[in-house]
Amino acid sequence: MIAYDITLGADAVKITVIGILQAAGIFALAPLLTGVMRKVKAKRQKRVGASVIQPYYDLLKLLKKDEVVSEHASWVFQWTPWIVAASTMSAALFIPIFVPFSPVSSAGDILVVLGLFALARFFVMLAGIDTASAFGGIGVSREMMMSSLAEPGLFLTVFVISLTFGGTNLTSLVGAAAQSGVVIAPSVLFGFIAFFIITLAETGRLPFDNPATHLELTMVHEAMVLEYSGRGLALIQWSQSIKQLLLLGLMVDLFLPIGMPASADASLALLGFGAAAVVVKVVLLAVVISYLETRVAKWRLFRLPDLFTMAIASAMVGMIVFYL
Amino acid sequence: MDFSYAYPDLFLAVVALFVTGALLPLLLNTRRGAIAAFVPAAIASALTAALSTLILFSGSTIRLAPPLTASIPSIGIALYIDGVSAFFMLIIGLVATAVSIYSLGYSGGSEEKRGVRSVGFLINLFVLSMILVVATNNVFSFLLFWELMSLTSFLLVIHEDEKPGTLKSGITYLIMTHIGTAFITAAFLILYFSTGSLSFDAFRSSAGQLAPFTKDAVFILALLGFGTKAGLVPMHIWLPKAHPSAPSNVSALMSGVMLKVAIYGLVRVTFDFVVPSSPGDAWLGLLMVAAGSSSALVGVLYAAVEHDIKRALAYHSVENIGIIVLGLGLSVVFLSYGLATLAALALLASMYHSLNHAVFKGLLFMGAGSVVLKTGTADMNLMGGLAKKMPWTAMFFLIGSIAIAGLPPLNGFVSEWLTMQALLSSYQVPNQVLQVSIGFASVAFALTLGLALATFVKLFGISFLARPRSAGAERASEVPRTMVAGMAVAGILCVVLGVLPFVATSAVASAFHLDLGLITPYSPLGPLAVGYTASGLSSISSLSMPTVLILTGSVGAAVFGFVVLAGSGRKPVVRPYTTWEGGFGPLGERTEYTATSLSQPIRTVFKTFYRPHTSIKREYFSDSNHLVRKSVSVVSETREVFEDYLYSPVVGGTLFLLDKVRRIQTGKINSYLLYMMIATVSLLLLAVFQF
Repeated sequence: MIAYDITLGADAVKITVIGILQAAGIFALAPLLTGVMRKVKAKRQKRVGASVIQPYYDLLKLLKKDEVVSEHASWVFQWTPWIVAASTMSAALFIPIFVPFSPVSSAGDILVVLGLFALARFFVMLAGIDTASAFGGIGVSREMMMSSLAEPGLFLTVFVISLTFGGTNLTSLVGAAAQSGVVIAPSVLFGFIAFFIITLAETGRLPFDNPATHLELTMVHEAMVLEYSGRGLALIQWSQSIKQLLLLGLMVDLFLPIGMPASADASLALLGFGAAAVVVKVVLLAVVISYLETRVAKWRLFRLPDLFTMAIASAMVGMIVFYL
Repeated sequence: MDFSYAYPDLFLAVVALFVTGALLPLLLNTRRGAIAAFVPAAIASALTAALSTLILFSGSTIRLAPPLTASIPSIGIALYIDGVSAFFMLIIGLVATAVSIYSLGYSGGSEEKRGVRSVGFLINLFVLSMILVVATNNVFSFLLFWELMSLTSFLLVIHEDEKPGTLKSGITYLIMTHIGTAFITAAFLILYFSTGSLSFDAFRSSAGQLAPFTKDAVFILALLGFGTKAGLVPMHIWLPKAHPSAPSNVSALMSGVMLKVAIYGLVRVTFDFVVPSSPGDAWLGLLMVAAGSSSALVGVLYAAVEHDIKRALAYHSVENIGIIVLGLGLSVVFLSYGLATLAALALLASMYHSLNHAVFKGLLFMGAGSVVLKTGTADMNLMGGLAKKMPWTAMFFLIGSIAIAGLPPLNGFVSEWLTMQALLSSYQVPNQVLQVSIGFASVAFALTLGLALATFVKLFGISFLARPRSAGAERASEVPRTMVAGMAVAGILCVVLGVLPFVATSAVASAFHLDLGLITPYSPLGPLAVGYTASGLSSISSLSMPTVLILTGSVGAAVFGFVVLAGSGRKPVVRPYTTWEGGFGPLGERTEYTATSLSQPIRTVFKTFYRPHTSIKREYFSDSNHLVRKSVSVVSETREVFEDYLYSPVVGGTLFLLDKVRRIQTGKINSYLLYMMIATVSLLLLAVFQF
């Protein structure tokens, strides 16, 4: 276990300002990451593809549009986009992405972040049932199975990370990772494999779910939010992008902390360099994932448990290796 | 001010009120009977909650010995209420208050409901006996009130005996609960033989001096006995039968409270009488961890594929009891290795979850009871659309669902957070076998949480959302105000215990004399935080639910502001229209997903566990040469692994054995005379040779 001193330094103003900038950066850059991934995928498929800033146009357009709401739906359907946005975006406050600290990380740790993601998913699944459509139902039914297997994978990954870096406080986890540089410890590598698989599942990428399709045979997430339009759809898509950035950013910070300063006391230049490094690394990771997406097809639903089992087993091995 | 001199009188007032509530309705007619039974019950329960809070936070204890029985020290009624008793009395009081208010409408609402008076009588006695069980201080009174609790609850389970299967469930419950009592009695007898007294005081004072083997035997017998009552796997089979058969207000009490009385017994025996103190005791804790984590997983797996709303909730009780016992087991493991801080953390998690489970399971059973009352069915496949017809019930059921699924910001999240912290700290146990075993328990725990989320999507979504799928659901309307009020009490408790965790943590800390200073030294957020440092600065975990809630709320407000601005300030028109049905025209309710279809992927993934069995029966028109089908019926069911592979062989073997024994009953007087002679001679021989 790595000892890490969590004290955030005396300069409360600097910490707070940078923390707010970090959150604003996450909210603002998340759609760009989605655009980059779509562009890479299009290039690989020999298409021109939309511009990388197309997601911003989509969101702004949706925000100005009127909404159509199913007459069968109840208040749960109406409230879901707001709950999803509030919980996903507040999860962003607790996670250090660009700098190695978050000003509020002692109020909410990595388990709170997972809990907020789960809350968002809970309401998206309810909204999928609420419209009384069989499309929603089929998405929820698949998501129920996938999320109930993704959850243990994610928790065990957290277990391995927490064993290696100490505690569940995200500032201390990311700080300890940055302090130790790249850890070539077996437990961390196994944790990374598990985290990578689970991230693909959680962000709805291939081979778990195809974010680009509306084919009823394959869609999972899209089926649940099929009835959303206008503001509701905008909020859900934006939250989805943010969640993707958060998970990729967290993966980069925990497993590839090259360039990240280990402490909040570092100079502004070092912090800025760290942030730039994070952006580069996240984009590279996104490129890798998009590239993978053009190489694999969507897996049959009942083969997916194999992948989840692989993630769970990998995290288990990481844990056992840590103990031995 | 010190009111401690009044506590014994207050306690007697509680007893008197419950007795009044039990006897009064017998003298009155049905309508007034409900009021006569449940108004005293509500007052008495609220008084119990208040009294136990006072005892908890004043740190005082009550000792009561009714004068009539005090002359015989060990076979008499002796009461002693310390912090632990008071904490469990608080749980009983809180839930019973909510349920009593709810019962005013539930039992009194419909005139045609028969036997309201007997239900009133029994519920009062039931709650009173639970309060007395946790307050007793010797074996005799403990077993007396324990049995009263079991019998009143048995009579309540079989109350709606016009429903098919109710009597069978009741008998299963009666048998299992007495097997449990037998184990508990055996544990107490061993304690009696090693201490020479039947008083709990003597057990407590000789706690450290038990021989190692005696210690293990007492612990295992207590785990079996109280585990049967609490519904631990594999002794859980009565629970999913008995709890759904009872009237819903009784289900709320049984699942919410009675299981906690069993947990109380386990806690009392483990931490007061057995007291794990050396690494040699760690395997006892590991046994509990194994029982707890497998109960959690088995309970939630069955709940995930259940379509009867009350039975699904009953299976969730098995799951949550598993989480509670998992926490207790971790506490025993940590205590065995002298890790006092971690033991306190795990115990805190476990007791916090006991309180939480009582509150949200009470709430969910009340909600389910309202739904069953209004739709006339407990089958979720025949519900749907209730969120519009029963908005208050829907809201409180949603609160309960979020809480039990362990999602922020409600109470289930906080206790599961603490349980996870206890699991994550298991690396400090200096034994690799234990570390890896607890690691496997963590996998089971994590899988449980994932499946619980999925199950409650199903429970709430299929029952309350989409369109009604039956005439009963179509006709449903909101329940009377008293029932909503009962659910509101429990719902508000869920929110308070979630957002202000220090309310519960301080109650647990004063009940068990835990040093919370050890658990929350890292608190820049003051008393608002639940957090702990495991070993110096190297491992820090903290949580502040008020801060999380404030941040989430302000982010939500900011997003709202941004959305309004980005939409150029114009309020968008929201147009209601039919759901897109793929261009086929309006589709009926039968195309919707049901509870069974929703859980189909889970059933397929875990098919080695469920052993699903589908039989398709086709009937053809005889003159169509097997071409034209008259009807197709599909029966799809999952097997009860434990009943088929564990209980059936035992029951079958017992019956076979008894069949053989029956042969000695020939009905001939000659043979009976022979038996008597053999018995007399053997007794004489026994007396002569002094065996």
